[in-house]
Amino acid sequence: MRRRVVITGMGAVTPLGLTVEELYRNQIAGKSGVGPITLFDASTFPTKFAAEVKNFDLGNYVPRPERWANSGANSSFALAAAHQAMNDAGVMDDIRIDRTRFGAYLGSGEGIQDFQHLVASVAHSYQPATDSVDTVRFTTVGLKAFNRDREYEQELHTTPGHLANLFDLEGPNYNCLTACAASSQALGEATELIRGGEADMMLSGGSHSMIHQFGVTGFNKLTALSTFNEAPQKASRPFDMKRDGFVLGEGSGMLILEELDHARKRGATIFAELTGYGSTADSFRITDSHPEGRGAIACIQGALDDAGLKAPNIGYINAHGTSTKVNDSVETLAIKKVFGDGAYKVPVSSSKSMLGHLIAAAGAVELITCVMAMRHGILPPTINYETPDPDCDLDYIPNKAREKRVDHILSNSFGFGGQNVSLIVSRFRD
Amino acid sequence: MAAAQRRVVISGIGVLTSIGLDATSYWDSLMHGRSGIKPFQFFDVSTLPTRMAGQIPEFGAKNYVVKEQRKNLRVMARAIQLAVAAAQLALDDGNVDKARLDPTRFGVEFGAGLLPTELEEIGPASLASFHQDTGVVSERDWGEKGIEVIQPLWMLKYLPNMLACHVSILHNAQGPNNSITEGDVGGLLALGEAFRIIRRNQADFFLVGGADSKMNPLSQVRQALFGFQSRRNDAPEKACRPFDKQRDGLIIGEGASVLVVEELEHAIGRGAKIYAEVVGVGSAFGLKEKSATNLSGITRAARVAMQQGGIGVEDLDHVNAHGLGTQKGDALEARCLHELLGSARKAPPILALKGYIGNLGAGSGLTELAASVLALKHGQSPGTLNCEEPDVPSPLTVIQKPQPVTKPNVLKVGYNDLGQCAAVVVRKWQG
Repeated sequence: MRRRVVITGMGAVTPLGLTVEELYRNQIAGKSGVGPITLFDASTFPTKFAAEVKNFDLGNYVPRPERWANSGANSSFALAAAHQAMNDAGVMDDIRIDRTRFGAYLGSGEGIQDFQHLVASVAHSYQPATDSVDTVRFTTVGLKAFNRDREYEQELHTTPGHLANLFDLEGPNYNCLTACAASSQALGEATELIRGGEADMMLSGGSHSMIHQFGVTGFNKLTALSTFNEAPQKASRPFDMKRDGFVLGEGSGMLILEELDHARKRGATIFAELTGYGSTADSFRITDSHPEGRGAIACIQGALDDAGLKAPNIGYINAHGTSTKVNDSVETLAIKKVFGDGAYKVPVSSSKSMLGHLIAAAGAVELITCVMAMRHGILPPTINYETPDPDCDLDYIPNKAREKRVDHILSNSFGFGGQNVSLIVSRFRD
Repeated sequence: MAAAQRRVVISGIGVLTSIGLDATSYWDSLMHGRSGIKPFQFFDVSTLPTRMAGQIPEFGAKNYVVKEQRKNLRVMARAIQLAVAAAQLALDDGNVDKARLDPTRFGVEFGAGLLPTELEEIGPASLASFHQDTGVVSERDWGEKGIEVIQPLWMLKYLPNMLACHVSILHNAQGPNNSITEGDVGGLLALGEAFRIIRRNQADFFLVGGADSKMNPLSQVRQALFGFQSRRNDAPEKACRPFDKQRDGLIIGEGASVLVVEELEHAIGRGAKIYAEVVGVGSAFGLKEKSATNLSGITRAARVAMQQGGIGVEDLDHVNAHGLGTQKGDALEARCLHELLGSARKAPPILALKGYIGNLGAGSGLTELAASVLALKHGQSPGTLNCEEPDVPSPLTVIQKPQPVTKPNVLKVGYNDLGQCAAVVVRKWQG
């Protein structure tokens, strides 16, 4: 008998709220977390808006926030969301828990580069005539300009390291960065570690902020971001005919995954069960999804097979739904291929319409949304849905939340470069 | 009745390091005690305290990619090019006929690290945004004039998931795909995940790799700031001295390794030559000084791996350590290894390989593991280069010179400075 994995705690720091309850309530109310970028001066950037986390104070979650002054938002958001999740599960100070069987698997992004000092150092040393950098100049300036700790905190293993240190998580420790699929993949693989008996509990989820000069630059160069600067709150419009790219978000979602008997023994509250995980690669292009959605189809099917479910069992799909032309039509196609005619009967919505795209953290924050939707019986809408696209003709729960009791929810995350992850979360039944 | 446990084997090795451009030349250098640490030659680092590294100046990615695919090399950072090249070497070494593979059961797992931009790529944009008079970078100028002079695919060239992405695209690998970003243990953890995925019957065949290249100015400045490197610039080949009393710091190396990792019956079915079986992989956290009852992550990860393999410490030919070459790191690791091995009747000796090639970051674990896999094949273990006065607590010993392999199992361990630990046990394939 395969060990069962349940969710016993959740925490979130997002553009729509600094708690799981706020995150969910605001999505049900159809609120948008998007606004003009305030984290840097984006007034001349092609995209001048994003979904930023508001009013965040790390001091509300950790005793000495100054200790993290050189860490990026990836770590601060993670610390706060993990703190919430640990408390939510009641395991922060529970001495009965064997910490060597309690690990962490995150999909956490990189820290934030020192834009000012890096660009200044390059400006000091770049020689346009030869398109080369005078490295003597660069290294001399750079050694003085860069902050050692701040540079160190950009290393990709810092967030899971800090969390494991702070919360005494001595079990398996992993971090992955498969772009937009990262935290979903982390949750899936964390589930497998528990199923396989290597851990009884796992802190899992993700954190990321790419709302910075290089992040917006990079995505703008790829023409991946919406440039609907006239009305930022309407820019993220998944499945709508006029969609023109995604909106960057930031934040963290963290969940406590736990083996079922372990949870029962300590009287934990069980929020839901993680029943299905599928992972595939498009193996097509680094810039585009496979046009027939072959990777997405296989991954959705893989998650269903893993959960021992069939497509008609799924009561709601929380889509990847980035609001790019390609993703939304390919994802629609993939859903139709797997669900057949049933595709028209299952409601589909995109949290990204309200939260923006949290990149590595998206999967976890969206899974938390799914758990809340199942517990409260209200499915979040896809907002900004105004003009139907003939290529996207499913029921996207347009603009208004919908009451519906569901027992199984499918959550998709399709990463840049073609890594696909699907998760299924189910109502817990003994 | 439970299904028989699927078994996982290594059936191909691709290695690119400063001491060899394939597994054969890598092995030859190890056996001849050749170091690849040389004075830094990619650009002028005269201002930096450490001016040497394990470099592969002769590496030309074109040589490893078919003509039609070469244009993709332009959107790959050097670490990605190394990964792609090593993947081809592994497929060649493994004599893999891709036409016979089921793409949906072919996965890719890579350990990867932070890939900073080449500075020239943001050169014109930086000039356009920097104000000499105030010393301030103007975001407005960057937005107005800088962004337009950056190439469109700039970001994709440096994403850590692109090692696994490009490899999956080049070889039509449509199965599970992940990029483990855990510093120096990423590669070993990638192997661990592939191991688990095969065992749970979701794939039959993997390319598992790790690669890194810090041979760019921004990485070199960062490493200088971190302050962990050796300063023995006058004797580069002797600078990285794992577990040696006179060690004074680590040395960075560039390189990549990729292993063909496959389910046993699948390997036999295609007539693969099998090097070794992966019998256990463990991961744990924590390197703080622990009490007698509170074991280090290295010990716990190693025990998980050994338990999965059904072996004890006495069954190990050697322990292939992380052996960074820093005073503190090696002392801490030696204490952890003492905790793991010290009570054995005869503790297996320790091998550490960074003296030859430096620390390859995400590429280190699998490159060093490959040496032990080759050792099992050849029946000889290399020595720990530059460990002239072993500084390990009794009764532990260090393999200083090449010696015969006498047992079929090897334990490879790795850790990083924050406390993430990984362990892999491999067993010589006896057929």
